[in-house]
Amino acid sequence: MRSRWIAVPFGVAFGFLIAWGHLTDPQVIRSMLLLREADVFLLMGSAMAVGATGAHLLRAFGARSLVGREPITWTRTRPGRNHVIGSIIFGLGWSIACTCPGPIAAQLGAGQLAALFTGTGLLVGIGLRGWQAARTKATPPGDGTTAAAGL
Amino acid sequence: MDARGAWYLVGPAMGLVVVGLLWVANRPLGALGGWIDLHALMRRPSEKAGWRLFFLAGIVGGGLLHALLAGGPQPTFAYAGPSAPLSSPLVLGLAGALMGYGARTAGGCTSGHGICGTALGSPASFVATMTFMATAIAVANVVTRVLLGGGS
Repeated sequence: MRSRWIAVPFGVAFGFLIAWGHLTDPQVIRSMLLLREADVFLLMGSAMAVGATGAHLLRAFGARSLVGREPITWTRTRPGRNHVIGSIIFGLGWSIACTCPGPIAAQLGAGQLAALFTGTGLLVGIGLRGWQAARTKATPPGDGTTAAAGL
Repeated sequence: MDARGAWYLVGPAMGLVVVGLLWVANRPLGALGGWIDLHALMRRPSEKAGWRLFFLAGIVGGGLLHALLAGGPQPTFAYAGPSAPLSSPLVLGLAGALMGYGARTAGGCTSGHGICGTALGSPASFVATMTFMATAIAVANVVTRVLLGGGS
């Protein structure tokens, strides 16, 4: 088990970028969802393009992780009903609050205390899903640690 | 630093964070996992917190860092949400619960599926992203144009 602390600087960078891009501003998300501006779509698209390019370069060069010296791997998951149903419910909440799990954390750091309400709700929803899964003895897909399964 | 960073700077930089976390720690980036880890830690405080909670704590720190560079955080409960009734604590909490339940069902959120999972070419992430984007765009437009009478 490598140090968990290595994740902190990446979180700081990601949180800083969320705040710099004003993704912590619910009006920015609202403008995006009402299709009044394309910036957030372009932001996500360019993040994805750079991420895809970098990930494939790492794989092409056979790079190993700097911590742990593991071969860099990730899983690709086949879409299932849970991805569609879960994302419909997620999208509903997202469109109401105009924020999502990453920006909620960044909002907390920035003193936007309404994030305490959305964050508490997030934990309740996560708990509810876990409780339901335990009752049906199924593991929620969000509990894995592989790329497509556990984010 | 208060000015909004352009998408062509912030987006690619986020992509580099995805690549960096993959290169350094062989880990997929995502915010939801940290919340799941936090929930697990609250239920069983004696157990060791997962690495994803450390990433989430970093995001909080990144928000603080940006606020400090923009003149210091000015704590406020004001929330410039869709409209006044939709910004009440109860509605925000309910929206949060929908997000938590839905994202855990789908195995990821806007960052985990929308940025990282799609970058890694996972078909499930493309399906999830298209689904929550379409849902959120449809609901936001219906709520704004029908329920709120097309107001700003």
